[in-house]
Amino acid sequence: MGLPIPNSKLGMWLFLGTEIMFFTAFIGAYLVLRIGSPGWPDDPKDTHIHVWAGGLNTFVLITSSFFVVVAHEAMGVKNFKKAWNFLGFTFLLSCGFLGIKSYEYYGKISHDILPSHIAENDEQAINKVTDEMEDVVKAEMTRHGLKGTALEDKRTALQAAIGEQKGETLLQLHALDAFDGKFVKLKRHTRENVSLSIAAVDGKFDRTALPAGARLPSLTLHEVEVYVADQKNDPQLKPLMSSVHNPHPIPYGNLFASTYFLMTGFHALHVVIGMILFGMVLMQGSKLDSGWSDWVENSGLYWHFVDLVWIFLFPLLYII
Amino acid sequence: MSDEHAGHHHVNYFIIFGILCFCTLMSVVFDVVEIENKIVLVILVMGVAVAKALFVMTYFMHLKFEGNWKFVLLAPTCALAMGLPLALLPDVGVHYYTQDVPQMHDTVTKHGEKTAHAEEVGESPKTPEKKH
Repeated sequence: MGLPIPNSKLGMWLFLGTEIMFFTAFIGAYLVLRIGSPGWPDDPKDTHIHVWAGGLNTFVLITSSFFVVVAHEAMGVKNFKKAWNFLGFTFLLSCGFLGIKSYEYYGKISHDILPSHIAENDEQAINKVTDEMEDVVKAEMTRHGLKGTALEDKRTALQAAIGEQKGETLLQLHALDAFDGKFVKLKRHTRENVSLSIAAVDGKFDRTALPAGARLPSLTLHEVEVYVADQKNDPQLKPLMSSVHNPHPIPYGNLFASTYFLMTGFHALHVVIGMILFGMVLMQGSKLDSGWSDWVENSGLYWHFVDLVWIFLFPLLYII
Repeated sequence: MSDEHAGHHHVNYFIIFGILCFCTLMSVVFDVVEIENKIVLVILVMGVAVAKALFVMTYFMHLKFEGNWKFVLLAPTCALAMGLPLALLPDVGVHYYTQDVPQMHDTVTKHGEKTAHAEEVGESPKTPEKKH
């Protein structure tokens, strides 16, 4: 005496049971972290979450789920051609889902909305801009083949190269030199927490005229925002500033990014696995027969579960 | 054998599909109208999500037509799945202590302590000024 279902179906349901625990752990942890983080980022300007993209993907998955049940029904009445066609449509829709997801991922990557990349307060935002400008300086000096292990040695080589080069290369070296100057200025003010309105003379800030206990005005995020915007608008520096992000602190942005990519990433992985399951049926072509009925049914159960997970991810990540 | 379970029950899947699309549209509408009360928004969109999930499970996954084994198999799983969120809730979700994390500091403090690249501008690290 056993359960009145095929072993393969029982196996799939047991597997789905583990999947319920798997995704509940992610979604539950996300909810708990969000509840415990006052000021969690939910503004699309911060998160670059697009409701239309999530809604469209929901529609795509629901449609694919509908096609799967139609295919399963067609298998039941031995209309294998119809079943193959609808599984083909499902496969195409899953490609569409991943395409939209990739577009969303591209948006986040281009805005550096990535785990451990996001500045969460003013200090981190200023440091991040400084570090990014430094990365550009180092990368550009390496690209131009400037010799030296320390940055100071490369600066010396840069000045020598400016005296030797001509044409477009010379223009690029001049731009790099100007960019490096902007970086050094920001670095100096960042390190000593001195407002950009105070000029350094020979790399030092004059504090001699300050009354006892007084200090120079501090560097502010707004100043750095204006400074970065100025460099981005400078035609000479614009190309070099392309990989420097605007300083924009997002409290709990890293937790958001971690949970977002964890949940949507594992969900996308499940979509890919579903595509493989359907792809194996589609590879049968005209040889598809009733021997594949259980496979189609179990793959369908799996696909509906993938749809179920997205049904909850959509409101949690895109709307609330 | 699988046909015995699904094939004997005639469900108009297109109607279910239409209901699911309508529910999705409702979720988007709730976002577009910008409901100010967050709790109301959560109740509405999660209510719609639960309704959609029930439709998918009941009809697309044919649980409506399965025997009671579905409860035996799924109920313990669902109960155990709540373990991690419930375990994390007291410490992480509902803090019983004062929170002091960098995200709560919205002003610049101690700039200059991070001097990992100080030598790169040709100067030695200096003691930073601190904001009050």
